[in-house]
This record gives sequence, structure tokens and C-alpha cells, in this order.
Amino acid sequence: MSPLLQAKGLGKRFGGFVALDGIDLDVAEGERLGLIGPNGSGKSTLVNCLCGTLANETGTVTFEGRVLDGLPAHSRTRLGLARSFQLPRPFVSMSVAENLKVPLLYAVDSRAHGHLTPAQTNERCEELLGLVGLVDCAHKYPRDLTQVDMRKLELARAMAAEPKLLIADEAMAGLSHSEVSDIVALLIRLNERGTTVILIEHIMRAVMHFSQRLAVLVSGKKIADGRPEEVIRDPEVERAYLGQ
Amino acid sequence: MRAPAFFAAAIGTAILIFIVGCLIGNDYLFFAGYTVVQFVVLASAWNILGGYCGYVNFGTAAFFALGAYTSVFFHKTFPLPIPVLLAIAALVSGLVGLGTGYLTLRLRGAFFSIATLALAVVLQTFVVNWDYVGGSRGAYVIRPNSVGVFGFELDYVRYLCLIMLLLAAVAVAIARTIERSKLGYGFATIRDDELAAEASGVPTLKLKLIATTLSGALMGMAGAPFPYYIGYVEPASTFGLPYAVNSIAMPLIGGTTIWFGPLIGSILLGVLTQLATVTISSAVNLLLVGALLVGFVIVAPNGLVGLVQQFLRIASPGRPDVRSTGLVAVAGFGFIVGLFDVVFNLAALLASDVSGEAIATAGLVLAALWLVSSYGLMTIRRGSPLLATVAFGLSILLAVVHIWIDRSLGNVALWGVGVAVAIGAIWFLQRRHVQELYQPRLGQPEVAA
Repeated sequence: MSPLLQAKGLGKRFGGFVALDGIDLDVAEGERLGLIGPNGSGKSTLVNCLCGTLANETGTVTFEGRVLDGLPAHSRTRLGLARSFQLPRPFVSMSVAENLKVPLLYAVDSRAHGHLTPAQTNERCEELLGLVGLVDCAHKYPRDLTQVDMRKLELARAMAAEPKLLIADEAMAGLSHSEVSDIVALLIRLNERGTTVILIEHIMRAVMHFSQRLAVLVSGKKIADGRPEEVIRDPEVERAYLGQ
Repeated sequence: MRAPAFFAAAIGTAILIFIVGCLIGNDYLFFAGYTVVQFVVLASAWNILGGYCGYVNFGTAAFFALGAYTSVFFHKTFPLPIPVLLAIAALVSGLVGLGTGYLTLRLRGAFFSIATLALAVVLQTFVVNWDYVGGSRGAYVIRPNSVGVFGFELDYVRYLCLIMLLLAAVAVAIARTIERSKLGYGFATIRDDELAAEASGVPTLKLKLIATTLSGALMGMAGAPFPYYIGYVEPASTFGLPYAVNSIAMPLIGGTTIWFGPLIGSILLGVLTQLATVTISSAVNLLLVGALLVGFVIVAPNGLVGLVQQFLRIASPGRPDVRSTGLVAVAGFGFIVGLFDVVFNLAALLASDVSGEAIATAGLVLAALWLVSSYGLMTIRRGSPLLATVAFGLSILLAVVHIWIDRSLGNVALWGVGVAVAIGAIWFLQRRHVQELYQPRLGQPEVAA
């Protein structure tokens, strides 16, 4: 079976700095992939290139057998490739519920060719709020949310696009022990419903608990890819994280 | 109200206003009213791109002039009825809007604004050098005295006024429809965060192009009847700064996030500048608009609607209650009285001799006091009731002095009402449940973020 997402020889530079250097990455349907790497190793750039926020200079991204090159970000979201941002970027002039309505109206509805009724939109919106535990905040504005709820909103908005593949970019930075567990549980639940998930994270406990497979980026190169327990014992990975 | 019903109501209101105007029968009313209504269209059109999408367009004058010169061109080649000219102007300025959007929309913030300003300069240069439409000399457009509409013989200025009123109704209805549609959500995401919008599936470039096209088309339509109204157009005034400044100032002062913001702003500022033109001079208009804009940016950056919305959100979450509605009404009264009194007293001050100066100065201070108290009423802060009470108290003292000096019936009546409202407001403000309203509460910001 061909993979759901396939990146081949992905490269991106910023001026003289090589952010991504020929990354090959396959993600199978239904998989839970962890992606780790030190700061500045190119994780977020990789997400940006996969999702069309940045254009990759070399290589290709294939999603469900379709080459994505040159496709703008919104088209990729509509195809089923959604992401959350590392720093939450809510729509500040809208309530939490309205924030979730945007992907419902623009990604899900477009996919269904305008067959989503307002009642269905509201229903899905409430379902999502319940799923992430934001029901009480539905009519609050993002500026009144706590940091945890803001991150939940960021994740929920990505989930609202009903993606086949969800990329969660450091959804848990700065959260407490139990909050991290909540979000990991949420992502696992989502995965069990059939969504493929890529988790980018620094919190090793979360990554190890979540991932079925682990890939490691260092200085724009993928240095390891495999079963989590084996990957973290890889001498090269240890060197990258702990120094020599 | 659903969109078609609102559309019908807006058209109905426009026709009603026209009929009332005809019953009053004053020709100057139509002449001045045309300008006010024209700004309702321009402000609503500007707001589609500037308010909803957050792209500040300095090129209103360019689109307006495009419409005006479309009319001039056809007047010389092949005279057409105004409604047809309106459609052609919409097409021409809509296309220019689309083109400009395509070229400039990868720019954001100030850079986009500068590009739109450049558009105005380029188009003006083009018109100045196009002899056929008059070049820099300008062009005369002789309008007929009257026109037959559905069997009625209508004075031409009144006819233009009717068209502009209908256009305003359409513009406002379009703005409201957009706001409540999928498109409105999309526009708001562009204003808030374009990257996140794209990630949520919003085709931002396409939506921005829709906004520039629509906004440009409406501005062009506002300009199309202008040569017939004014009789003579020349580039310097048709591309003039006042169009750009006013169509930015009006939505900002009214409030940019909702359809009635530009409507309130344009009516308020439009009437105010028309009054200033008559009582002081037309040159003072821009000064007035500028001063108001600066004042609003400092005191109420989200405009009148934003100020009231914020007050209501904290004062009575959910449905507005009697207490907060009353306070909004008093503040609104105070604001309008204060604003118009500034203009009248300024005019009196500039025109009068020494004896009149005292009255005018007293009137100016009085107006300022009213403005301060209405601002106090709308700001949830611990000191607000005291501020408003002091300002109202002083205004009563001054109003009594004012009535003492000028015992004409009109003055006594005006300030009598003022004193009555002020006494009522002071009494109201001393009540505990009103005082409590101004106590900052937990979890809510004391002032606007």
C-alpha cells in the first residue's frame, strides 16, 4: 500500500542556512508518528513545507498519491492535511465557537460541495468543543482563555477541518504534567477514530507514550526513523541530544 | 432579519427618506444630503476591504474619480441614463479594483496602503494628460433641469439624490449580507491572521480579490453621478484628499466591524461637515475630521459602536438591561449635542464681536463638558461615575449662565433640555446599582485591550 503522505528529497534554505536537507519521510495511513529534534533542527520548517505555508525548493510532497507542489495551503487543508501552529494563532475577533466554524465552513463544507447545513455545522462545532473540553468557553474570546485552553483551541481548529492527516506542532509546550496527559489522550482518541497524526514535541514522556514510530531531525537532516525504543538508544540520536 | 427582507427594508427606508425630503421641499437639503449619502456609500464600500479584511485603502478617491470620469467620457461620446452609467462605472472600477488587488495584495499593512495611494497618483496623472475628458482644465457636464421617472417630472438634483439613496441602501445591505455569510467569516480571518486562515482552508487571495473588486465597484458607482451633480469636474478635486480621508475616518469613528458602524460614522461626520461648511467654511472640514479621528484613535479606537459594545458586554452580558440602555442613551445624547455644539459655537466665535465671544466660549466649554461626561458614562472604570457627575454638574452651572446671557427661546429650550438630562443623569449615577456597574470585575479587563 502506498503511504498517505510521502516527502521525497525535501529541501529548503533561508539565505545561506540550509533548514531542510533532502528529507525523505513516509507516513502510513492510520499511523501515529512522533517527530523530534533539537531546537532549530528544521521541524517547523518541515511542517510548513508539508502544509504549503512555505514552498520547498527541492523535492516533492505527495499526499494520497497526489503531488502537492505549488498547491497553496488552503487547498492542502481541503485535501485533508491540517496542522496546528506552535504558537497558537487564534482568530482574535471571533469567539471560540466561531473559530471552529471557520474550517468547518471553508474546508469541510467545500469538500462536501456546500452540502453542510447550518445545523450540521453547529452540531459538529459542539461535538468538537466537547471532545477537547472547551464547552464552557464556547462564547469566550481567545484573549480570555488560559494557555491550556488556547492550545486546545488551536488543536480543535485543526481537527475541525476533519483532516486525514493532522500535524500537531508542539501542542504541549509549557503545559503541566496532567495537561500534557490530557492532550496526548485526546490525540490518541483522534487517531483511533481513523486520523493519522504527526506529533512534533520536546516532551519525551508524551512522545514516547504517543508514538508508534519516531523520526529524528538534526540540522535539517533525518538521522533516525524507526521504533521509538530503538531510535532513542541510537548513538547518533544520543549524541545530538546530549552532546559527545 | 434575513438578507432579502433587510434589502427590501433598506430600499424602503431610502424611498421613505426621499419622500420626507420632498415633503420638506428645501432644495438645499437635497444638495447637502447628496454629499452625506454619497459618503454613506463610500464609507460602506471602504469598510468591506478596510474594516472586514483589515486592508487600509488610501485610494478611495481613485475609484471614486474613475466612476466620475466614466460618466464624463460617456457624456461626451454617447450620453446614457444615470442607472446605465452606474453599471458601467461599477464594471470599470470593479475591474481596476481586481487588477490593483492582484498586483498589491501580497503587500500587507502600510505597504498595501502606500500602493493604493500610488494608484490614485497614477490615475490622476493619466486623467490630467487625457485631453478628451478635459485634462487638467476639467470638463463641464450640463445636466438637464428635470427628468421623468415613472411619470413624475423630477428635479434633476432630487433625481440624483434618489439614486444615491438607493445606492446607499444597496451598499449597506451588501455589507450586512457579507458580514453574516461565510464570506464574512473568511474576511474576518484575513483581518485576524492570514496564515491561520490559510491553514483553516480559507482561500485568502481569492477572498481579498472579491473584497477589492466589490469595494472598488461600489466606490466607482458612488462617483458616477457626481459630474451631473456638481456640473464641473477637474482632476485635483475629484482625486482630492477629502474622499480618501473621509472614507477612512467615517468607518473608524463609527466602528469597522459591523455594517452600521460606517453608516453611523458617515451620517454623523457627513452632517457635521456640511454644517461646518455652511456655518464656518468648507476649508475647516478636513480639520474637523482630522481632529475627530485623532480624538477617536486615542479615546475610542474601536469607534462609537466598539465603545458601546464593550460597555454593554461588561455592563450587561447577554441581553442589554434598562439600566445600561439608559446610560447608552444619555451618553449618545451627550455626544451628539456636544459634537454639534462644538461646530455651532466655533462658528459663532469666529463670526461674532466681543460681546458674542463670551457666549460662544461658554458654549464651547459646555460642549466639551458634554463630550467628557458621555465618554465617562461609556467607560467602565472606578472613577467614571465621579468624572461624569462632575462634568454634568459643571455643565448645569454653565448652562444656567448661558441661559442668563442669551435668553432667546431657542437657547432656553435647548439648554433647558440639557440641564434636565444632566440632573437626571447625576441622580441616576448616584444610585448604588449604577455605581456598582462601574466597579471593575474579576476576569474582565478594566479598559479595552
